[in-house]
Amino acid sequence: MSDFSFIGTLEKILMESGFAAFANDPRSLIMILVACVLFYMGIGKKFEPLLLVPIAFGILLANFPLTGLLNEPTIVDGATKSPGFLWVIYQGVQHAIYPSIIFLGIGAMTDFGPLIARPSSLLLGAAAQIGIFTAFLLALALGFPPAVAAAIGVIGGADGPTAILTASKLAEAYLPAIAIAAYSYMALIPLIQPPLMRLLTTQKEREVKMTQLRVVTKAEKIVFPIAVAIFVILLLPDTAPLIGMLMLGNLFRECGVVDRLSDTAQNALINIVTIFLGLSVGCKAVAENFLTFETIKIIVLGLLAFMLSTAGGLIFGKIMYKLSGGKINPLIGSAGVSAVPMAARVAQVEGQKANPVNFLLMHAMGPNVAGVIGSAVAAGFMIKVFGG
Amino acid sequence: MGNLTTSSFLVALSGIVIVFIMLVVLCLIIPIISKVVLAVQKPQINNRVAPTTRPKTEPAAKPNVTGVAGEVALIDVDEKTAACIMAIVSHETGIPLSELIFKSIKAI
Repeated sequence: MSDFSFIGTLEKILMESGFAAFANDPRSLIMILVACVLFYMGIGKKFEPLLLVPIAFGILLANFPLTGLLNEPTIVDGATKSPGFLWVIYQGVQHAIYPSIIFLGIGAMTDFGPLIARPSSLLLGAAAQIGIFTAFLLALALGFPPAVAAAIGVIGGADGPTAILTASKLAEAYLPAIAIAAYSYMALIPLIQPPLMRLLTTQKEREVKMTQLRVVTKAEKIVFPIAVAIFVILLLPDTAPLIGMLMLGNLFRECGVVDRLSDTAQNALINIVTIFLGLSVGCKAVAENFLTFETIKIIVLGLLAFMLSTAGGLIFGKIMYKLSGGKINPLIGSAGVSAVPMAARVAQVEGQKANPVNFLLMHAMGPNVAGVIGSAVAAGFMIKVFGG
Repeated sequence: MGNLTTSSFLVALSGIVIVFIMLVVLCLIIPIISKVVLAVQKPQINNRVAPTTRPKTEPAAKPNVTGVAGEVALIDVDEKTAACIMAIVSHETGIPLSELIFKSIKAI
């Protein structure tokens, strides 16, 4: 104890601290700034705060030097060294657990009634997936490998969990950029979609008042998730985690005998998993992966994918307007991107601006939930083709 | 042009075609499911409705008639509930209340 030096100890602590380690790789400081920007977007601007706040905190934690939070389990002298906390949490994304559980919650929160009442809404949900495939081609043109291009394209589905699931399987290194782009654009729907809606539709089309949907019986709502699960999963087995959980959640909601499970799926469970999902995505955003030109390209491609999907839905909406003799308001086509229920709300707002007695919300919910199924099918296709 | 090849266009085209096929088939299946479900439910509904049509032959409803509002016989139903039901029927059918004729409203 006689050789103890206060100054020496302080110096040692400082030299071994994260602050000193920043000198070795200052890019981590930039990532901390990125995290702060996301905090501002999530907390200050309220852009998808439920996801952006944990993602931002994950970025913050992952970029603190020397924490070992992302360390993989290693075997040293026959003994297993514990993995880092965030590495453990990340396994839920790695193995598609969190996105699937999020889908369980979405299923429990979603009323498929409007879709059952007007099945033609499914066509709008399909048309709004065009952005996925055009963005895939654009990403290839920009030099991304095919699997990564496929994962980038799925941003166009405007479905965060689907984008994360696809990225975790096809483009793990780009997962944070893809997830952040997907959630940011979902939050920006009220800014991105309206100009496109006004550009691609006429005032007369936007004014169309749609007839009331028929009443859907409880039995129809119960049979629907079971039938969709059987049909879609048997045809495209790669969609099983997403479609299976989506339909299970919906069955919880509609069957009326498992209210506690339905309540858990749409509240406590989805909230818990959202925390883990956000942290997992954020923790993969380390400087060497994130601070690249590719990230900027992904952000731009994501926006294009999203706009093309919206345009695809609107154009198909116009086709349905013509075919139905002017009975279908093409604005509901924009809700074919699967951001539920934000896209449907935007259709409602734009419809009401054109015609104050227009109530498109329930009509737009059909394409909106069809978009969830459509983007899961598109993602399943991409995983099938490029997943090896 | 980056990694664009003819096969990438084929992949994109196949992808959107698969999505359309899947959702078109669902679009065709849903009405079939609805028809089957409604067909199965119909006899059950009729069975449930049948006793309510019987009062014509057997005046079993008599003891429970709690009141008559205009022309409407309210059987085990209070006026407030009856008013709600009439308003809902009017709204759902789009027929103004003044043009609708209710003979009786009975709790089942």
